[in-house]
Amino acid sequence: MTFDFAIVLRFKEALLLGLWTTLQLTVICVVLGSLLGFLVGMARSANSPFVRVPARAYVEVFRGTPVIVQLFWFFFCLPLVIGTEIPNIVAGIIALTLYMGAITSETFRASLKSISREQYDACTALGLPHATQVVHVVLPQALLRAAPTLLSNCVSLFKESALLSAVGMADLMFIGQNISNNTARPVEVLTVVALIYFAIAFPLTRVVTRFESRVLAKLSA
Amino acid sequence: MDYAFDFYSVLSNTDVLIDGLLVTLELTVAANVVGLVLGFGVALLTTSSIFPVRVLSMLFVEFFRCTPAIVQIIWFFYCVPILFDVYIDSITMGIVALGLNLTAFNAEAYRASIQSVAREQMDASVALGFGPVQRTLYIILPNALRLSLPVLVTNGIGTFQQSALVALVAVQDLMYAGKSLATQTYRPIETFTAVALIYFVISFVVAQCVEFAARRYEPTSR
Amino acid sequence: MTQSSPAPLLQSDDRLGTQRGAPAAGTAAPLVQVRNLHKGYGPNIRVLKGLSIDMQPGERVVVIGPSGGGKSTLLRVLMGLEQIDEGSIRFAGKPYIEASPAGRRTTIDTVVRRQIGMVFQHYTLFPHLNILNNLILAPCKVHGENKATATARARALLARFGLEAKAEAYPNHLSGGQKQRVAIARALMLDPKLMLFDEVTSALDPELVAEVEQVILQLAQQDMPMVIVTHDMWFAKNIASRVIFCAGGVVVEDGPPEQVLGSPREERTREFIERVFHIR
Ligand SMILES: Nc1ncnc2c1ncn2[C@@H]1O[C@H](COP(=O)(O)OP(=O)(O)O)[C@@H](O)[C@H]1O
Ligand SMILES: [Mg+2]
Repeated sequence: MTFDFAIVLRFKEALLLGLWTTLQLTVICVVLGSLLGFLVGMARSANSPFVRVPARAYVEVFRGTPVIVQLFWFFFCLPLVIGTEIPNIVAGIIALTLYMGAITSETFRASLKSISREQYDACTALGLPHATQVVHVVLPQALLRAAPTLLSNCVSLFKESALLSAVGMADLMFIGQNISNNTARPVEVLTVVALIYFAIAFPLTRVVTRFESRVLAKLSA
Repeated sequence: MDYAFDFYSVLSNTDVLIDGLLVTLELTVAANVVGLVLGFGVALLTTSSIFPVRVLSMLFVEFFRCTPAIVQIIWFFYCVPILFDVYIDSITMGIVALGLNLTAFNAEAYRASIQSVAREQMDASVALGFGPVQRTLYIILPNALRLSLPVLVTNGIGTFQQSALVALVAVQDLMYAGKSLATQTYRPIETFTAVALIYFVISFVVAQCVEFAARRYEPTSR
Repeated sequence: MTQSSPAPLLQSDDRLGTQRGAPAAGTAAPLVQVRNLHKGYGPNIRVLKGLSIDMQPGERVVVIGPSGGGKSTLLRVLMGLEQIDEGSIRFAGKPYIEASPAGRRTTIDTVVRRQIGMVFQHYTLFPHLNILNNLILAPCKVHGENKATATARARALLARFGLEAKAEAYPNHLSGGQKQRVAIARALMLDPKLMLFDEVTSALDPELVAEVEQVILQLAQQDMPMVIVTHDMWFAKNIASRVIFCAGGVVVEDGPPEQVLGSPREERTREFIERVFHIR
């Protein structure tokens, strides 16, 4: 049994195209999902149960079900529910955005909660108006605290985006599988695909670790 | 919305879903056993003083943590038979793939808690004359297990959800049963909703129970 | 930490000594007037049980007492950080805090509150802002002071406290003593009429205590009215114009420092002072 990794080079362009699709989809869902997550994170600390309970239900459902099931649901059921066809890419973006929204809302919520009571006391003692307290003290600290975890949420989404291949979107995984099937060279092709994902995700996780210890050091003052 | 719901088609096929669920649970439990045991071993290797051992075990962990689970599963199903020239039944293969994935994540959880087991505890155990094996079994393992339990449970539930991916390589788990039922009955909404609900209820209930137990038995003093 | 007292501090001790008890009672309206203050946490924990205290302008009140006796709670109430169950507080002759008996709500006059500054045990600097921005945030946002003048004032204040080199640093690059001095400067930026200090040196390493106490003594020389909670006997003796021993949610003893610290009338005070300050 011999392996010929050079064969993968013949499909360099196709794989890069797939990677490009993966990255685009990841970025779109990261941006939309983080915005949604921020709003939901705030909603989860709201006073009114009419805001808090639905927000919590949304988060629990999306964290409590497999992403692949969510994806299938939006592909096969959403068109029936709303009664019109929707493009694959739209269904995919909706599903992953909602998933990202659910996990980032937890990040935002935890970072809001991590701000100590003493910080609020200090604001009161300085007579800061409520708006100033939120804009200049609470949010900057919460966002700083959330940043490393958000980055790690992005890495998760980057990995989960490979599921889009299962519903036929031509991302890196999909193209890799196609090449692997057509060339009957799964070992070479799939290993390279895995390495590409690794080459992107691994450095990011290192950045997260570094970044996190710096943020924690700064906020521990 | 003019879709007429028909949950009867799902209800009349509950046995199909239950068969699938049993496979899912089998995969989950077996993968968790693998992950809990091997994870601790790998965690010890990553704290080893022998450089190549440390690097290789860390590489193993990082590789599984930094690639999509679906890539890992498909890689195992296509490549292991070629590489090792063996035939392995698909459920065992699923257990191996999911179990190794969980091993990596659990190893990371164990490692973090091993490192936070107080240095004094180690010194004390040396002073008490424990050998390295006894120290590992009686001091490090119980401490690491206790400290990392919440993360281990979260990871375990994560594997329950990830197990749905093996449906894509034709293992007949809950997700697979749902997919085929949806096609057979032309009732995707009812079927996928029911499948999602089953995954959700199990994950949610287990998570809530564990959280409750954790709060209950949390030592109140520092 | 009471044994080593740097020379300059001893000098300020002499200066303060001559001023002790200076404000003539009855001439001016009390600066703070606490009446029948009751405060608990939840239905079962009663902390302050009917406290009444008058504080004259220019007084420096040191509050001592056993841990859990309600000293922090008293200061937090004075700062307007807590709801109260019963009683009222007037500040500079104006109503400040009032417990309405019916609605179980506390009304706190936030305009009056702005005249009071507080420094906490754990330096509560804003970690995401540099020292200068920590100082100018409140003046710019509360009083609408323009940034240039606030910055100039802040730099002058930092220079006075020996921190001019740290203006652009972030709090996590400062020592505990430096952080606490910045916290004092931050409160002073608002020109408070009363300063509250709650065990501001208890989280510090012993060698850093003196630098913080020196800054507070500086303020005392300028007749800043203050309420100080401390366990540092030497500091209490030097700074106080009046000492209150507070235990079990009530004032047990109240008088000039020589009396309360030197020859207490109450048995409980004497016991506490002997135990905590190791006298005799
Ligand atoms: N936020 C709170 N919730 C409940 N109990 C509190 C709270 N803060 C203080 N206490 C209780 O009130 C009592 C007085 O506390 P405190 O004012 O901090 O005392 P001191 O500063 O004199 O040590 C203590 O028994 C403490 O446990
Ligand atoms: Mg206290």
